[in-house]
Amino acid sequence: MDGAGTLDILSETQALVSDKLQVVSYKWASRNFLMSSNDAKRMLQELVEQHGSELEVVYVLSGWLKKSPPAYHIMLTSVLKLSEVIKEFEDNCSIQIYSVQACIPKDPATFWNYEFVQAEELFDQLATEENCLWDNRFCGVSNSFVKRNATGPSPIVAPPQTKNTVTIASSKSSGAPTPGIQQQLHGKVQQTSPKTGPSTAALASTVKSETSNSEANDQDGKSLADNGKATSVPGSKKNVQAEKSSSATGSLSNLWGRASAKAKPSPPAETMAHNLTVDMADAQIHVHEATGATSSDDEASDINYKRSSNGEGSRKRRVIIDFSDEENDEDAVNLASPDPPKRKSGQDSDHPISNSDIEKSKVNLATRKEDQLKIKEEKKTGKEPSPSSKEDQTVRDKSKNSGISLSVKTPSLIPVDSANQTCKVNEASSNSPKRRKILKTRIDDRGREVTEVVWDEEEVQNKNTDERSTIIDASAKRPPAVKKFPALPSNAPSNPLGKSGVKKTGKAAGTKDPKQGNILSFFKKVCLNENYITGCRYGIPEHFLQYMYGPMLTFLHIGLGTKPDDSTRVGSPDSGGGSGRVDKNKESGQNNSTVGYRVGFRV
Amino acid sequence: MAEHATSSKLERKQSLYQSLDERFEIQNEKYGGQQYSQIYFARLHYMRSVLYSLIPNWKPQLPVCTILELEEGKECIIVGTIYKHMKLKPCILDEYSKERSTVPIVKPHNFMHPDDHLVLEDESGRVKLSGDVLSPSTFVTGIVVALHGKETDAGDFLVLDILEAGLAPQIELSLDSREEKYVVFVSGLSVGDNSSNPLHFQLLVDHITGHLGDEKEQAIASQIVRVVIVGDSVEIPHGILNGQNLGSKELSRLSEPTKELDIFITQLAAAVPLDIMPGPNDPANFSLPQQSLHRCLFPGASTYNTFTSCTNPHLFELDGVSFLGTSGQNVDDLEKYSDAKDKLEFMERQLRWRHIAPTAPNTLECYPFTDRDPFFMESCPHVYFVGNQNKYESRLLKGSEGQIVRLICIPKFCKTGVAVALNLRNLECHTLSFSINLEM
Repeated sequence: MDGAGTLDILSETQALVSDKLQVVSYKWASRNFLMSSNDAKRMLQELVEQHGSELEVVYVLSGWLKKSPPAYHIMLTSVLKLSEVIKEFEDNCSIQIYSVQACIPKDPATFWNYEFVQAEELFDQLATEENCLWDNRFCGVSNSFVKRNATGPSPIVAPPQTKNTVTIASSKSSGAPTPGIQQQLHGKVQQTSPKTGPSTAALASTVKSETSNSEANDQDGKSLADNGKATSVPGSKKNVQAEKSSSATGSLSNLWGRASAKAKPSPPAETMAHNLTVDMADAQIHVHEATGATSSDDEASDINYKRSSNGEGSRKRRVIIDFSDEENDEDAVNLASPDPPKRKSGQDSDHPISNSDIEKSKVNLATRKEDQLKIKEEKKTGKEPSPSSKEDQTVRDKSKNSGISLSVKTPSLIPVDSANQTCKVNEASSNSPKRRKILKTRIDDRGREVTEVVWDEEEVQNKNTDERSTIIDASAKRPPAVKKFPALPSNAPSNPLGKSGVKKTGKAAGTKDPKQGNILSFFKKVCLNENYITGCRYGIPEHFLQYMYGPMLTFLHIGLGTKPDDSTRVGSPDSGGGSGRVDKNKESGQNNSTVGYRVGFRV
Repeated sequence: MAEHATSSKLERKQSLYQSLDERFEIQNEKYGGQQYSQIYFARLHYMRSVLYSLIPNWKPQLPVCTILELEEGKECIIVGTIYKHMKLKPCILDEYSKERSTVPIVKPHNFMHPDDHLVLEDESGRVKLSGDVLSPSTFVTGIVVALHGKETDAGDFLVLDILEAGLAPQIELSLDSREEKYVVFVSGLSVGDNSSNPLHFQLLVDHITGHLGDEKEQAIASQIVRVVIVGDSVEIPHGILNGQNLGSKELSRLSEPTKELDIFITQLAAAVPLDIMPGPNDPANFSLPQQSLHRCLFPGASTYNTFTSCTNPHLFELDGVSFLGTSGQNVDDLEKYSDAKDKLEFMERQLRWRHIAPTAPNTLECYPFTDRDPFFMESCPHVYFVGNQNKYESRLLKGSEGQIVRLICIPKFCKTGVAVALNLRNLECHTLSFSINLEM
């Protein structure tokens, strides 16, 4: 310690004591002036020598007492008592300055208070930071064996979050190895934009702008999310291949199985996971924003709901809900969306793999990413097949709306692929109803009618309840249970087709409605804000939205109408989009299932 | 300066630590309505095998029989669990008794009464014990002993001699070549309690971590190899809890003491290995064996590898010296139902009975184990400590087979400002006391 520094510190301490009437203990000084406590004691000694007359000094005596059971005693005492007290000690006791102050406080806790406040400040600093409280660096005794693991999983947050973390971890772990894909993604998007035409270009641009607009944090998050997406890319490819070569479910299940396997062992790095979740949510939001803005007002509102939930997700607990929400939303959207195949296939992808909600959620995440990726891919590759940019757009829109479902992929892919694929797809689709409503085995016969029966309101209700109960039973299931409730609100208000809303309600059964209302009200503010923001930010004119929205509708209708076999059953494909169909309980269910079935045949 | 400071720093001594708390952990057991009888059965099973092995050396000529096989006038040895019939022992049924007034008034410190008598039980039956050899005041329910005696006309069992299990076998310690190392025990910190002065604890922390004092004192501090916090570390303000949801303000008041404790022990853990045991007032389960305090209570301290949260009966080894200790419930309960001249005598009896909590589950809350009795002492520790006592006491107990046990009563720190330091070299103890003497 150089002389000048010491002088400064001395004068500062002097000022603290005399002007602010603070108790300056050696330890407080050592932490405050970042010197070792032994140095601080010396400094105080020096201070007392210089200004002793103006200060009250408290000494600390330590040593062995003279009385019989051996006792090492440490005592704080003032100067006045010093001579008296020292007699109780053995000769070689140590006397050191403990603190200096203007006057001795009546409450001895005051001595401690300043130190404690200081310690608390240090304690409240980020756990990852090093400070003199964490490493005890100013003491006179070092212990090199002390190790501190500040970044490790903090037990507090981990238990409740496990589920979340698991899903995230899985996505992350899978995502990690393929960083390059992210770039590819961007590249793709850019490539695609010219091909798909103005609308897609707008989309792409929105996406880009999104990224550019997003804050640094978001970008980080996005990159992470992108990684996640990137991971999904191989997965999606796999899926495609699987559809071509074999049943999609198998490959999917493999994929999911792998993911789940990974996810479970991976220790939840709490902070990381949290960030990830939030980030991913953000990223998803972005995508949704982009898509939603383009698609339609109603859809936008729907998306907004999602977004709002996502936004909520930035809080730790919420994240789960968000995912669940989205899943449900997507489901709902799927239901709502006129083309049934989507729904089925999507569910196929989800259900066969795993009944457990966790896996589901994972799947959803992955699938979502996949979808987005696919969308992009499709944009890129979309050219070669006859389907126009329009179709791509529609696909994209759908995918974005539904977000999750592989089915989105399938329709777009199917035209591209050969008849073989379609057959396989059929298989998949046939499987899908099974999964959807597990109870029905009759489906195997290819009796689509049977599947349709599954969709009956009552049955659906039962199933729903069953599902819910199972969900609840499984210990970790809280989030999924939550899922359902939020899902509805998004559906009901958002769906432009109206169909989805009705169906949803039918499926969801009456229980959901009240909750839905609550949640809606809860999110409303946010939604409004979000809406406003989206509108502002991207400056997308309404007619453009309609433009985007139009093609999708047409596509859907076409899709419905195309299949000859099922078309009979479906009734009027044109009306398919209409809400009227939805109203019939069984009929609608049949329609749906059949439609789902049809998807495979289409082309 | 910094380099100088670091170079002149003393290096803290290290010791080899092994936690043996496993036997006190309630791992995956779940309460499924099981009864306490199984603990007594397990205890009788363990202890009888011990006593049977001792009987040939004690009175080889006498037959050993069960209580059912007793014959009047025939001298024999019976082994069983003592039940102490106590007039004053609180009973839930008393509240429904209409003759409550006939029950004598309970003495302030315990439930002893001159009319108390002992009963011996085994699987076959029970018999009332009589005779002067056995004084009811020293025994409590749950002890397993072997008794030499005969059945009297009245159907009592006249006790002529008693065989207790005695100190369990002990691993011999070679104390000669050891260096000076200290273990500090502190109990009853009661952080957040109004009566406690946090400055005392801060001084203790500063002493242990090597902030306080001159080089000489820091040299002493550097010999402290472990700190054991023996229960009742935090005083939760229960007054806030009224069965309703708490506001954020109350919540923070509720968690303040825990945070304060965490700040304290974070400083400790940054300097020295630390064990923290739950106590009767800590946020842990109430019944013995108390499970370790959850690490989430200590977000700061739990990040250190030196921080160990352990069970309430705490069993560990330090450089080959075995330690066993509790937060005081077992001794406090003995004090309620039996008599001794000091707390150390209770502890000594527990060692002789080879059971650290004989009154569990009768009057001491304990988990209904089905397959074992974790409080049975298979081997004798070198140090037996009990926390949350009123004053510091310590004694060296020597067993018949050369066992040496250091008994320590650790006083409540918040009341006395006294912690206890044990020298691993010779098992000698001294107190670490703190006081503030500032009156003008």
